[in-house]
Amino acid sequence: MVIHDVVVVGAGLAGMRAAIEAARAGLNVAAVSKVHPVRSHSVAAQGGINAAIKEADSWEDHAFDTVKGSDYLGDQDAIEVLCREAPSDIMELERMGAVFSRDDAGRIAQRPFGGADYPRTCYLADRTGHGLVHLLYEQLIKHGVYLYDEWHVVSLVTHDNSVRGVIALELTTGKLHRLHSRAVIIATGGYGRVFNTSTNAITSTGDGMALALRAGAPLMDMEFVQFHPTTLKRTGILMTEGARGEGGYLINSAGERFMKAYAPSKLELASRDVVSRAEQKEIDAGRGVDGCVLLDMRHLGKDRIAERLPQIRDLAINFAGVDPVIAPVPIKPGAHYSMGGIMTDVDGKTPVEGLFAAGECACVSVHGANRLGGNSLLETIVFGRRAGKAAAGSCIKGRGLRDFPDPALADAASAIASILNRTEGESAHRLIAGAREAMEEHCWIFRTREGLEGGLKKIRKLRERYGRVALTDRSDCFNTELLTALEAGYILEISEAMLMGALARTESRGSHFRLDFPARNDKEWLRHTLVYREGKGCRMDYKDVRITRFTPAERKY
Amino acid sequence: MKVRFRIRRFDPLHQAEPYWQAYSVEVKEGMTVLEALLKISEDDDPTLSFRRSCRSAICGSCAMTINGFPRLACSTQVLPQYRKKGEMTVEPLSNHQVIKDLAVDMTPFWNRMEKVSPYLAPKEEPKDGWVIRKEDAAAIDSAQKCIMCGSCNAVCDSLEADPNFIGPAASVKAWRLVGDVREGMKKKRLERLSEGHGVWDCVRCVHCTEYCPKDVRPLEAIERLRAKAIEKKVVDNHGAKHTLALVDSVKRVGRLDEAAMTFKTLGFLRSLGMIPLGLKMEMHGKLPHLIIFPAIDGIKEVRKIYSAVERRKKKKE
Repeated sequence: MVIHDVVVVGAGLAGMRAAIEAARAGLNVAAVSKVHPVRSHSVAAQGGINAAIKEADSWEDHAFDTVKGSDYLGDQDAIEVLCREAPSDIMELERMGAVFSRDDAGRIAQRPFGGADYPRTCYLADRTGHGLVHLLYEQLIKHGVYLYDEWHVVSLVTHDNSVRGVIALELTTGKLHRLHSRAVIIATGGYGRVFNTSTNAITSTGDGMALALRAGAPLMDMEFVQFHPTTLKRTGILMTEGARGEGGYLINSAGERFMKAYAPSKLELASRDVVSRAEQKEIDAGRGVDGCVLLDMRHLGKDRIAERLPQIRDLAINFAGVDPVIAPVPIKPGAHYSMGGIMTDVDGKTPVEGLFAAGECACVSVHGANRLGGNSLLETIVFGRRAGKAAAGSCIKGRGLRDFPDPALADAASAIASILNRTEGESAHRLIAGAREAMEEHCWIFRTREGLEGGLKKIRKLRERYGRVALTDRSDCFNTELLTALEAGYILEISEAMLMGALARTESRGSHFRLDFPARNDKEWLRHTLVYREGKGCRMDYKDVRITRFTPAERKY
Repeated sequence: MKVRFRIRRFDPLHQAEPYWQAYSVEVKEGMTVLEALLKISEDDDPTLSFRRSCRSAICGSCAMTINGFPRLACSTQVLPQYRKKGEMTVEPLSNHQVIKDLAVDMTPFWNRMEKVSPYLAPKEEPKDGWVIRKEDAAAIDSAQKCIMCGSCNAVCDSLEADPNFIGPAASVKAWRLVGDVREGMKKKRLERLSEGHGVWDCVRCVHCTEYCPKDVRPLEAIERLRAKAIEKKVVDNHGAKHTLALVDSVKRVGRLDEAAMTFKTLGFLRSLGMIPLGLKMEMHGKLPHLIIFPAIDGIKEVRKIYSAVERRKKKKE
């Protein structure tokens, strides 16, 4: 058994930022992650990070854009925190060593992004996430955070609704380890991989959310999944919103800029849910090209593409066989971001004592029903820092090391042994494929009650079958099939929570669109959905949206 | 189209030797090696181990040896490779120990990274924040593209000969810091990098630059570090002395005066230690001239080049 003051699960941007902050408070901090930090999915973030750092801009404007983008479901007190603290966090990143792209005067440059009324997105070419992940990895080393990479957390250990630590599987040896701690911060990212067509890394399977749900924490607003308007046709690989921010057009088979019909003033830079639905409608109406619409960047010219969007050009050439300098790139909407997650307050605190969460796996909620581009990196930094500080604070204020329940390790070991020892049963890959198929069929951009109910039935059946999951690989060294089996369990649980939320929300708001309830309903639904685990099933609950300064109004772009 | 993959497999804890296993995969146009591996592990053989994550050439997980050269599985398409070679072989990265199958132990890689103190030690910040000119940012731009996939270390000749060598990947990180206008410990870093197993141990085989999947050009970073070290007068080491002796010799006689360079690089006493080697070389007729020989005919032209370089350097300052 190893003992640390704070254990951070997940080492992407939010996790590393939290770990660094806790370490700064002088505590003994460990980060546990199923992949090495620089392999985390944060590394794939392309476009940028929002902050009102120019005089002509203000944090209130940023907050308004975010609230409006969230379709008024975001909690406004949390959004205020996010936007108010953004500029100082950007400056701190720069002090750590970040090199943001510069303007001609040598100051941080900013580019326009969807749903924002001011060009307030700071960026590092088209690999902002990559720059920041490598930066925070440097800081992780500097601050002496213990790193357990390629350790897969299999259970969050709690007793009397208070967290005691985690149990993790070391991938290279197959051993289970106890990590005993005073506080745990979950920062495991999103659940984009419940779908097939997803921009997310193969590893984004919602692990931390499922662990928290099992430990008694509620998941909030799980029905809200952001579909990114520009992903490559076959693979779902992301083409940054920066491509449109720099001036790219969306055109249909007739060569029309079809966004004129859907968002006359913002056009391609309307918020993501609006653009994704518009694309899907064009495709469904037969104005697509082979199931896609086209992203046209030709008029930007080779030099501008080379300077601002070099990676995008490489990706389009390598993964779609199209050079954006010469031809428009076929793109379609794909699952991109999980607005929902573990319910937390503005300090990352969850209802389970000593348990914190930050980043995409958490739901503060600053994104509400739809996240604005450039706000997710910002969330990881601002709320990662706050969660790290709050977790450290709780330890310093006296949250001591409490007993690690004896049976926890044996329980985890027997759960894994039962999978490993089963000689025949269901294949984990098949179960995941089944879940993804069901979710894409029933819980995609346009949803209905019948569809969602059908999806729920399928997922519950799959969960039953999951009880008989069996493996071919029984080795204890780098057994990736075992990880897939564990992830299958997380994916199924998350899918069920998403479907429950989507069924309960009888309105259309932001990214959640119900064909049978196509209008926003502020009277009943200015509230969040909460999913609790109860026995083997789930229980719903609700929480009002906190509104401080912006009264809900119709959202037009 | 059916493509046969030959994959080198190994479980060092349980097997004595690595072995090749063949799989047949139905490949479509545009399919990547990573997709093919995923297909194998999902449909055919779940015991095959390999790392994967982002699928879009930015996380650096899936570097492996494909048809003999290090590549990212996720950004390498099968069919062009197959057409060129007539087969598909997949092996773990070389220069790294295998954990299992295609997954290698990256611990030495991360340890080398930590050796260069890979974090900014900034100078005092100006009152109204840092001004970084575009050209300052451009100097470290290619270094910043590194995804730490390990391809460069896998093909590094110096690393193969000396496991303690710092290697191209960590050198890139070092240059990213030394080349940063905000860095306050440049000289200290350069001193450490100039010690044994440091940047002067690179033999400039250019493999790192040739096989980097992200065009980071590690050799360029190493050369910039060397130039910066000499510029900052960090010259009390064999590498810098050797380079300066070379520059001096060409300026003096227009060619390499190898005997003199030995003395200048190693100093008198250490050069005595080279006598046994010298005798051996003499026996094979390989010993350079020990007497001081005259300058080449066109020495004036050579010196003109030197003064032109000097002028340009002054102008730049």
